[in-house]
Amino acid sequence: MLPTVLIDNIGYLSRAAGMTILLSIASVVPSAVIGMIVALLKIFGSVPIRVLMDVYLYVVRGVPLLVLLFFMYFVLPYSGLNLPPTLGGVLVMSIYFGAFMSEVFRAAIISLPRGQWDAARSLGMRRARTLGIVIFPQAFRLAAPPFVNTCILLIKSTSLVSIISLWELTMAGREVAERTFAPMEIFGGIALIYFGICYSLSRYGQYLEGRMRFGH
Amino acid sequence: MGVDSGHPTVQLRNVSVRFGRMQVLKHVSLSIDRREVVVIIGRSGSGKTTLLRCINFLEEYDEGEIVVDGELIGYRTGPDGQRIRKSEREIAAARSNIGMVFQSYNLFPHMTVLRNIMAGPIHVRRMSRQEADAGARELLARVGLSDKVDEYPIKLSGGQQQRVAIARALAMQPKVMLFDEVTSALDPELVGEVLAVIKQLARDGMTMVVVTHEMQFARDIANRVVFIDEGVIVEQGQPRDLFSNPSSERLRAFLKRYREGYLL
Amino acid sequence: MPINVSFLVRNLPLFYEGAVVTIELSVLTIVIVMVWGLVIVTGRVSRLRLWRLLAGGYIQLVRNTPVLVQMYFIYFGLAMAGFGLSGFASGLLALSLQNGGYVAEIYRAGFESISMKQIEGAKALGMTRWSLLWLVVLPQAFVRVIPPLGNQLILIIKDTSLVSAIAVGELTQTGKLLSERTAATYEIFFTLAVFYLVMTSIVGGMVRLYERRFAIAH
Repeated sequence: MLPTVLIDNIGYLSRAAGMTILLSIASVVPSAVIGMIVALLKIFGSVPIRVLMDVYLYVVRGVPLLVLLFFMYFVLPYSGLNLPPTLGGVLVMSIYFGAFMSEVFRAAIISLPRGQWDAARSLGMRRARTLGIVIFPQAFRLAAPPFVNTCILLIKSTSLVSIISLWELTMAGREVAERTFAPMEIFGGIALIYFGICYSLSRYGQYLEGRMRFGH
Repeated sequence: MGVDSGHPTVQLRNVSVRFGRMQVLKHVSLSIDRREVVVIIGRSGSGKTTLLRCINFLEEYDEGEIVVDGELIGYRTGPDGQRIRKSEREIAAARSNIGMVFQSYNLFPHMTVLRNIMAGPIHVRRMSRQEADAGARELLARVGLSDKVDEYPIKLSGGQQQRVAIARALAMQPKVMLFDEVTSALDPELVGEVLAVIKQLARDGMTMVVVTHEMQFARDIANRVVFIDEGVIVEQGQPRDLFSNPSSERLRAFLKRYREGYLL
Repeated sequence: MPINVSFLVRNLPLFYEGAVVTIELSVLTIVIVMVWGLVIVTGRVSRLRLWRLLAGGYIQLVRNTPVLVQMYFIYFGLAMAGFGLSGFASGLLALSLQNGGYVAEIYRAGFESISMKQIEGAKALGMTRWSLLWLVVLPQAFVRVIPPLGNQLILIIKDTSLVSAIAVGELTQTGKLLSERTAATYEIFFTLAVFYLVMTSIVGGMVRLYERRFAIAH
């Protein structure tokens, strides 16, 4: 049923899809770490720290990812910082999605009732312990569905690194499309591959949402 | 077991609290003896909950001193008499000896009933799991919930959740228990089972400070009733005297509203 | 790093041209998306099974594929099939298709947050379906829709930068071309960043203004 151009190039495109998944994982992990740190600093940090975090969030929320990628690609080399493109791409993606992740975590943490803090503190728990025992276990469950959504946004955004010449699924698609003169079949096909990755992840997110409540 | 008069477990001296421009507590002094049950009554917004929350420093007070079991709460006095905030560790250590039960139960929803009760002993007291487990089961038996050990809080009625919350506070073997309107969120038919547990605690000689709207309960359980209005203690005394013979106009008005069936 | 002001002044006309295209594309996309989202959301809540399935499938499809790939599909694919669209039109179409799916879901969440009690109350008053929709449902849905909608509009403005990949001379493309020819890359990206920040801040500011006015009204 699939067009032959697609079947002929399926091996190449699969390897490229593997690269997309790899790039996604390599970016999700640090962006989750950044997101958690920024969320905590925004909630508990001193005023100057909170202002600093706000500036970071403001810039990342207001400037396109592509412009940040160009910054890494065109501007940083002039200041003597020559990152390997893959590392640079992952770094920019992590910083960019770290901001989105921080909102996911922050929203989950502050949505927990104050009484949870009161109860933990009244037992004599200190802040770190309260976070570890009481707050995080609940916040992670609350954050799971929006976290998965953000991961899907991130996976889709890995396609942008093709514009700064990194090889992944979208880049491979362009190569194959140019070679075979079958852009419709090829881009249709890689859209399907993205769909397969993202849709299965979103179903997993729904499954998590279903099991979110405790004791059910 | 009578009240240990002259041996205060909790002492408030001249305590004031401001929220912005509003003064919630104005130079309140109160002393609670060992094994004494003090019930605090007053309208909502009178400052009674704030007073309670100051005792374990969930609310910070701006002036005065609070001493629990010989230890200054929240602050120490510096060499020049200035107030120095204690470290988080010291404040937490002091709180671990003061049990508190809240209006909205505040059980940890991600833990079973047993885990809720074991959390404090294990993570704060550094007790072994077996010891904490045994203690928790014993306490659950005391509040009549032995069959709910492995349930999650959401499966329990409000009354049952509140009894678990009491057990959780007791697991820390507190010097004093604070109850903050613990029946206000309950359906009327569930109030009794919670009050019964508190009454039993009173009989066992626990030192308690109880904020409540249940006047009959206050009369039954209190060694002393304290009436608070607009941030000051207006009147205090034995429940019999206070309820039948209030000396202040404000308490008379308060009791009148209560008898006329207003929600306080 | 000292900023090369004369470079910026010299290239101001170029930046201006690019910025105009970015603004045009953003405004057009936003207008189309807000309407298109309404069309899709009628499918999400429709009683017609086929329409409901189509709308649901559409939303899943656009939410789970990258807008850049959609753009390539439209720009390169349709051209090969004989329906060549300009880069601008391809970008507009892809951005509208993608964001229409998101906006439809934002609308739906707004509708669903209105309690059934109010709807039943309005029905009890004898309201017709249409007056119910106009007088009860929509005004409230609007209030809840504005903040997430504002976020989505900000994402749209940022995503217009992607059309630079299909040779549309908007701002990011201008920046990229200039960067390949000059060494003043720092100035170029500073300009780009400020421009996008201003654009997105205007939308963000409007949302906050609206929220504040609404908070006062309550």
